[in-house]
Amino acid sequence: MATLFVMQGRDKGKRFDLRGEGITLGRDGSNRIQLNDSEISRRHAEVRRTSEGIVLADLASSNGTFVNLEKIGERLLKNGDRVQIGRTLLLFTDADDRSSVNLAHDVDIVGLASAAAGDVEGSRILKSVSHESGSQLFAAPDPAESPWLARARSNLQVMYRTALAVSHTLDIDQLLTRILDLIFEWVETDRGCIMLVDSETEELAPAASRHRKGARPDGKMSISRTILDYVMQHKEGVLTSDARDDERWNPEGSIVKLGVREAICVPMQGRYGIVGVIYIDTYTPPGEVIQQRAANKFSEEHLKLMVAIGHQAALAVEDTSYYSAMVQAERLAAMGQTIATLSHHIKNILQGIRGGSYLIEEGLKEEDNDVVRRGWRIVEKNQERISNLVMDMLTFSKDRVPELIAGDLNATLADVVELMQSRAAETEVQLAFQRRDDLPPFQFDADLLHKAVLNVVTNAIDACEKREGARVEVSVEYEPGERFVHIVVADNGEGIAAEDLQRIFSVFESKKGSRGTGLGLPVSQKIMREHGGDIRVESTPGVGSRFYLELPTGVSSATGEPVNQTQ
Amino acid sequence: MSQPPSVLIVEPSADEREVLRTVLARRGLRIWEATAVEQGLALAREHHPDVIVLDAEEHDGDEVEARFSAASTGERSRLIVLGRMRAGRAAPGTQAIAKPYHFAPLVHKIEQLAAKAA
Repeated sequence: MATLFVMQGRDKGKRFDLRGEGITLGRDGSNRIQLNDSEISRRHAEVRRTSEGIVLADLASSNGTFVNLEKIGERLLKNGDRVQIGRTLLLFTDADDRSSVNLAHDVDIVGLASAAAGDVEGSRILKSVSHESGSQLFAAPDPAESPWLARARSNLQVMYRTALAVSHTLDIDQLLTRILDLIFEWVETDRGCIMLVDSETEELAPAASRHRKGARPDGKMSISRTILDYVMQHKEGVLTSDARDDERWNPEGSIVKLGVREAICVPMQGRYGIVGVIYIDTYTPPGEVIQQRAANKFSEEHLKLMVAIGHQAALAVEDTSYYSAMVQAERLAAMGQTIATLSHHIKNILQGIRGGSYLIEEGLKEEDNDVVRRGWRIVEKNQERISNLVMDMLTFSKDRVPELIAGDLNATLADVVELMQSRAAETEVQLAFQRRDDLPPFQFDADLLHKAVLNVVTNAIDACEKREGARVEVSVEYEPGERFVHIVVADNGEGIAAEDLQRIFSVFESKKGSRGTGLGLPVSQKIMREHGGDIRVESTPGVGSRFYLELPTGVSSATGEPVNQTQ
Repeated sequence: MSQPPSVLIVEPSADEREVLRTVLARRGLRIWEATAVEQGLALAREHHPDVIVLDAEEHDGDEVEARFSAASTGERSRLIVLGRMRAGRAAPGTQAIAKPYHFAPLVHKIEQLAAKAA
């Protein structure tokens, strides 16, 4: 499956599936791949499927599209390509689906006791090469060495660098598929298989396999346990053949009747031990054996190269495993932190509910309605808090496409202000809405926008609570023909320190102590971005803050004309 | 005639302050309230309350507890610390109550300590 994975930028960590047609990348919500990056054009680039593969095309973007640092108009993407648009760096991966095949059906490890072992066990080791000898491939080139080996050696170094570069985002299956692809590029082999040592059972288990195109799969790939044991124990790569010297060219001999199967099996020697083996084999049919009078396709050079490949592949597997473990550990740590933060908020809300209930109980006991009312108000307030917390968690955790319907922005903002009036009055904050009567209908999801504005207004009221002449004002800035309409929430509260401005949109960052969940602003930001807009803030400590919620008007930047917004 | 026992509540949550204030005032105790540690310390220095109820969850419990003990001339004020700490870790003479707590036992404890001080 082909994907684009965001390695750098605001959307870091997101993976976009490239299945289907008409995939565009850009800043606004009409793109299937919407990226939150102000240096990206509204419609920046397009992914097209061609007979050759997946092509990335720039759509006359302002800042250009780059593949592996090179500016492109159109480019056929290769696995591991790095795509830079604006400040966002994406990694293209395209692993085919072979890795999803159940390899137990393809590969069989056969021992002496196995009935099917006869042919395989009939193979014998012709040559063996130690890991150290294989690694000499990286020493100064021997002038006498074949051009093929020289080229392969240089490719090998490229492979390791490539594997390292992509391993941080690929899973093991994709990496192994890529290693087999490279082996098939350099070695004329019919079948290949990578077996990895299972960390729990310490047994070898097939992890990836491949057949050359056009080669007859020839049933299961049977691999001799004796040979595997030899490779694992001696840490040597071996070249084996089932040809028999004594009756080699006898017309009645097995070679002529059955052909010859040769195999190379090498250890994947990593930094700390053997992580697996690579096995490749080739089959020379009887006709070819007679014609060529030669049964060997694999040479010692092939074996040396495969030993070196085994080592480089092992390093890449180790790196990928390490990276996966690290990502998993980070995920667990983040999950732990999330649970701790949410538990803290829920505990505070629970404490409030217990307090309110206790007051109700006391009031009922003493038949004092005033105390009952106070208790009930506290219970209600905390019910609202937990309801908001759950809604914020749901909004934050789900990616959703807003239901864009032409609506009256004044009506939504008036609803928010009306809802918050009692809270504002409680905290002695004057809350006002400056209605604009000249607004056309805009496309937005009224429920989501209500939530986004509500969170910002709630924060504004909290920010100026207990301040002299505390005031929060909601207004709209709009010029016909502009691409965005701005909802402005201004307060004369405590303001935000410059060093905190970057952090206020990060999840669980709250400056409101036990009152804040740290979800309000990230949720508002997410909602505005899902609409193709954004949220920004200007603030002066001690004077107040102005939050601007940018909502696209549906006007094209190029023509100034309205465009149809897709959902 | 001597004054009734006094309680200082240092608690950022308006709900929790309101619950304690309402119930303790009905039991005849004098109440001071603070939303933050520094404000609470100033009140403790000024009034030397009989009982201090301190929500230390957002703070380093040991450090803030020591500051309150010093500010309230130690021997007189009894400290109840609300927060994450386990009871076994509290300093001698300090009552530690983990959150979330039930209000009835807390109010009972405050009344007991206030009665002793009186």
